Amino acid sequence: MANLKDIQRKIKSVSSTQKTTRAMKLVSTAKLRRAEELAKRSRLYAQKMNQVLAEIAGRIECNKVGGLEKNRFFTSIDNPKMVDIIFVTADKGLCGGFNIQTIKEAKRLIASFQNDKVKIRLRGVGKKGIEFFKYNEVEMYDEVVGLSSKPNKEKSDDFIKASIDDFIEGKTDAVYIVYNGYKNMITQELHVNRILPIDTEEFECNDAQPKSMLEIEAEDEERMLNSLVDTYAKYNMYYTLIDSVAAEHSARMQAMDTATNNAKEMVKSLNVEFNKARQAAITTELIEIISGVESMK
Amino acid sequence: MEKFKLEILTPNGEIFNDDVVSVVLPGQEGEFGVLAGHASLTTLLTSGVVDVEKEDKTVESILIKWGVAQISEDKVVVLVEGAVAIRGESESEVAKALEEAKKLLDDVADSSTALASVSAKLESAAQKLI
Repeated sequence: MANLKDIQRKIKSVSSTQKTTRAMKLVSTAKLRRAEELAKRSRLYAQKMNQVLAEIAGRIECNKVGGLEKNRFFTSIDNPKMVDIIFVTADKGLCGGFNIQTIKEAKRLIASFQNDKVKIRLRGVGKKGIEFFKYNEVEMYDEVVGLSSKPNKEKSDDFIKASIDDFIEGKTDAVYIVYNGYKNMITQELHVNRILPIDTEEFECNDAQPKSMLEIEAEDEERMLNSLVDTYAKYNMYYTLIDSVAAEHSARMQAMDTATNNAKEMVKSLNVEFNKARQAAITTELIEIISGVESMK
Repeated sequence: MEKFKLEILTPNGEIFNDDVVSVVLPGQEGEFGVLAGHASLTTLLTSGVVDVEKEDKTVESILIKWGVAQISEDKVVVLVEGAVAIRGESESEVAKALEEAKKLLDDVADSSTALASVSAKLESAAQKLI
């Protein structure tokens, strides 16, 4: 039977862990509320933006407006040579499977591209993912730490700009983002988004649509589309970060809640063990006293 | 008057969503007005003032920073990077909104917009409210 002192020490340590995890849960809950609010407000804008772009892309595809069907932004390349993969993980751990899910998905994506003999460039946001790939000796093309815990529009613009520029210049043929997004308080949802070129497949061609909904001059359309796509890609990156923060906090909140409950359970069973040990010690002492008295007779 | 739906969205949420009679938007090649039944059009907007005429004939001015407008026959969706509506119940609220608008305007000072005219428009919009 374990020593009384040992058990006592264990109980103390477990309950102090419990205090820490509970505090972390409370912090995450507070942070989640703020992050969720921000994500909710931005979601509408992001959705509308994607809608507008998808519609433009669809119409270009369907109607061959102004010779723009060859525009790089809207043409899917069947056999890309070089692909940018951006993954977003948290900077900190202790959030359950949040980071590892993203990492696994990124690995899967990389493997599937490598199978098709496509070269990839890995661009990482978030310390946890970067550390993982570095440890596994996967080369990182670009990395940012500190952006995923505190999304900042300017920094996120800078980060994605390199990808957009390379795409425009033809160095890369597609840009993917892998991240774990917020679904609700208890679930996260893994997303793999191809932000460039823009998906045109979902849009159905329809004769009823007007032939041209863009402004008349072709050069104008080009300029307009370029700046629109630029904003779209940048905003998508930023929204990804916001969504990811909300998901991170919800994942951490859950993980810490489970940890707190487990610690509680552990303290309970340790207490039982402690009581048993104490009772055993008392019994031994009693027997000693009684047998001492017995022998004096 | 026929009316149509106008939505103005910023990354921080919706700033306007209501039925309106007409809207004047600052396009890149000059201002243009939209009434119900306008032909479909998607165009870029520069920083400037959006004048919204509502059903009760009141006009509301909203300062926007860079945007894109998607116009269809019964709906106009305006996506902007930033916006401030010049409105308020009292003089101080209007003054506060005006101040915010000017701050937003300073942020885009490097754009080629004729800032002075935008600023003057804001002032007059605020003046009407007070």
